[in-house]
Amino acid sequence: MRRFKEFLIEKIILLNGFACILFVILIFFFLAKDGLTLFKTVSPWHFLFGTLWNPLAEPPQVGILPLFLGSLIVTLGATVISVPLGMACAIFIGEIAPRWIRELLKAGVELLAAIPSIVIGFIGMTMLGPIVKNLFHLPTGLTALTGSLALAFMAIPTIVSIMEDAISSVPRSYKEGSLALGATHWQTIHRVIIPAASSGIVAAVMLGIGRVIGETMAVMMLTGNASVLPKTILEPVRTMTATIAAEMGETVRGSEHYFALFALGLVLFVITFFINLAADAALHQKQK
Amino acid sequence: MKTKVMVCSFLFFIGILVPLTGAIAAEGSIQIKGSDTMVNLGQAWAEEFMAENSQVSLAVTGGGSGTGIAALINGTCDIAEASRDMKPQEWEQAKKSGHDVHEFKVAVDALAVVVHPSNPVKELTFDQLSGIFTGKIINWNEVGGKDQKILVLSRDRNSGTHVYFLEHVLRKGNEKGPEQYAPATLMLPSTQAIIDEVSQSDSAIGYVGLGYVSPKVKTVAASKMNGGPFVQPSKAAAMDKTYPIARPLLFYTAQAPQGSVKAFLDFVLSAKGQEIVETMDFVPLGKKE
Amino acid sequence: MVDKIVVENLSIDYGGVRVLKDMSLSVKEHEILGVIGPANSGKTSFLRALNRLNDLDISSRLSGSIRLNGKDINREMDAEEVRKKVAMVFALPIPLPMSIFDNIAYGPRRHGVKKKKKLEEIVEQSLKAAFLWEEVKDRLSSSGMKLSGGQQQRLCIARTLAVEPEVILYDEPCSGLDPISTAKVEDAMRELKNRYTQILVTNNVKQAARVGDRVAFFLMGELVEIGEAGQLFTAPKDKRTEDYLTGRFG
Repeated sequence: MRRFKEFLIEKIILLNGFACILFVILIFFFLAKDGLTLFKTVSPWHFLFGTLWNPLAEPPQVGILPLFLGSLIVTLGATVISVPLGMACAIFIGEIAPRWIRELLKAGVELLAAIPSIVIGFIGMTMLGPIVKNLFHLPTGLTALTGSLALAFMAIPTIVSIMEDAISSVPRSYKEGSLALGATHWQTIHRVIIPAASSGIVAAVMLGIGRVIGETMAVMMLTGNASVLPKTILEPVRTMTATIAAEMGETVRGSEHYFALFALGLVLFVITFFINLAADAALHQKQK
Repeated sequence: MKTKVMVCSFLFFIGILVPLTGAIAAEGSIQIKGSDTMVNLGQAWAEEFMAENSQVSLAVTGGGSGTGIAALINGTCDIAEASRDMKPQEWEQAKKSGHDVHEFKVAVDALAVVVHPSNPVKELTFDQLSGIFTGKIINWNEVGGKDQKILVLSRDRNSGTHVYFLEHVLRKGNEKGPEQYAPATLMLPSTQAIIDEVSQSDSAIGYVGLGYVSPKVKTVAASKMNGGPFVQPSKAAAMDKTYPIARPLLFYTAQAPQGSVKAFLDFVLSAKGQEIVETMDFVPLGKKE
Repeated sequence: MVDKIVVENLSIDYGGVRVLKDMSLSVKEHEILGVIGPANSGKTSFLRALNRLNDLDISSRLSGSIRLNGKDINREMDAEEVRKKVAMVFALPIPLPMSIFDNIAYGPRRHGVKKKKKLEEIVEQSLKAAFLWEEVKDRLSSSGMKLSGGQQQRLCIARTLAVEPEVILYDEPCSGLDPISTAKVEDAMRELKNRYTQILVTNNVKQAARVGDRVAFFLMGELVEIGEAGQLFTAPKDKRTEDYLTGRFG
């Protein structure tokens, strides 16, 4: 009886594991099925490198280059802002802050993570937009930078909590060993703790990027959604996620536009897949 | 890591799937779905109607005109609200699914072209509007304003308003015309966002439903012909059809309406129903044509 | 011989619990002082006070004074300076997560040694002094964590020597080692006697007898007795010391 129970539990866990993989495959399959239909009428080259996104034109123009670059510039901006900030915050929480400040900050960061993205978008629209507009004397505050700033806010809790975990789980003996050799606290953080926590730090950055690239609501509200090829971060851009979210509701099912949005989803899927692959590779590299 | 991919893509997939499939119609109730412009109006009608007919229950949801029409074709809603006409492709799909779709004009939405209050430009012809929104005219001084680049704002493509403005202003009524919004056009997710942006940016131009116009922005008189007459947007002007940018708001049903659906439709078209249209800042249909 | 370290009326509390009570003793230059006593007798706290590692625990309170070369380490020196002069070898030998070379060069680098040549010299000397050079000289760039337990402990000693301290503290350095490795570590300690003052905290009474010049016996946070190793082990003055040595408790 006991052995049977053991067997059953083991199989259920196994089944769950396979179910996860099955889900991914199914999702990929569905995306690919509708996404690839597009290429019956549009060449992949025109889809990937076309510079005009006008799906309502006759015939539809579905070049995603401006959308891809839009996503890229917003994501890069958010990464550049959030990683140093998040890292500094994680180090402060994990290594420097006295206990009561640490608890306060951790609670604060968790609270930040709990803010719905639409609220961040809303705050970004009413506060951040005008600040960016006035600071750089722009015609509009709805730019890639505004989106990046808001996304940085969303990525920071992810980055901080995972990095902080990684930093706190560095064995105490490393820290003491370094201090006992007369290294200062900062030298210890810089030379021992950060390298020892590096795999967790890379994971944190990757997950932060993952959060940013998939975010939709806030970017839709903040980046202006103009499908131009971005030259600077101070221009409006249109991201891939915002495009799907904004256009899926109104598209005619089975139209070229509809398939183009699925193909766009496929592109996003592939990008996320490679980001995660890169993160995995980085983690394994470190473990060697 | 692997789980992350899975969760992300799964949520992403759900995110694009759900709006497509729509809500499953509950039995014994009328499901109304579609245009976001019309959600509040539909809700107001439904509340008033239910107050009078307590045995009928109505559920009104948004999602976009296309979502509503797709739901109608899939049989998951009884009435689709739409702020644009059904496309030929959609008519075809409906026919294939065995539906005999009926269209009803239930109200009118006048679109006002708005600019920053400090903008000296008072009137624009359709030619000029088309030039501005397609990117042929890029400076305000080309239409009698200051020497300043024009910041063009539009609703995003999920909005019936976007499509209406494209077909009737940019393409000047030629629905299959070659004109497109300029790539540099900012596509904003809500009408409120357009109002906010126009009120903050002195070089901006956008279009909004008449009900959204506030003292923070200035409306521009529009004319279909070059040389006028230019008409300021107003309910009266929309009702007597002198204002050129007004579109019908529509109901679609899958069959000829009967029972409570018909009762509701009759109510919407009644004097009382049209009064509600006015309180919701849309334009009533006016006299029967 | 000159007094290297003078401890006067040292008391330590951890979050209100007194772990060291009014302790006074001195350590002479170039001697090995063995510290023995049962668990929770305050040996480790004593060691950690000597190079200010107790500072890291915010709940610790310290009173009394510790003087190194006549200077109060808590009031007249900063922590890094103290730790550079008074280095610590821990119970569990944990190399830093880097190569053997970098483990040893870590301290000197932090104290401003930049030249590759000079660093190579320091690494070689330190490894030789810790009797590890022959075993690792061909794989200095491999990870320090791949060495065996005994080698890791000698690596930790070498890394400590590389910062050229004046005093070395050992916190039960052989607790996880086999007898052969233990012997090697003890050899290293004896070898280092001419240059360093060493304090060895150990649970192993015999080890204290083998390498200690003098031995102190701690019990419940008090210093019970301190004296020449020969005298303390053969003719303890205090009854409690005798009881401990003969295995009546602890």
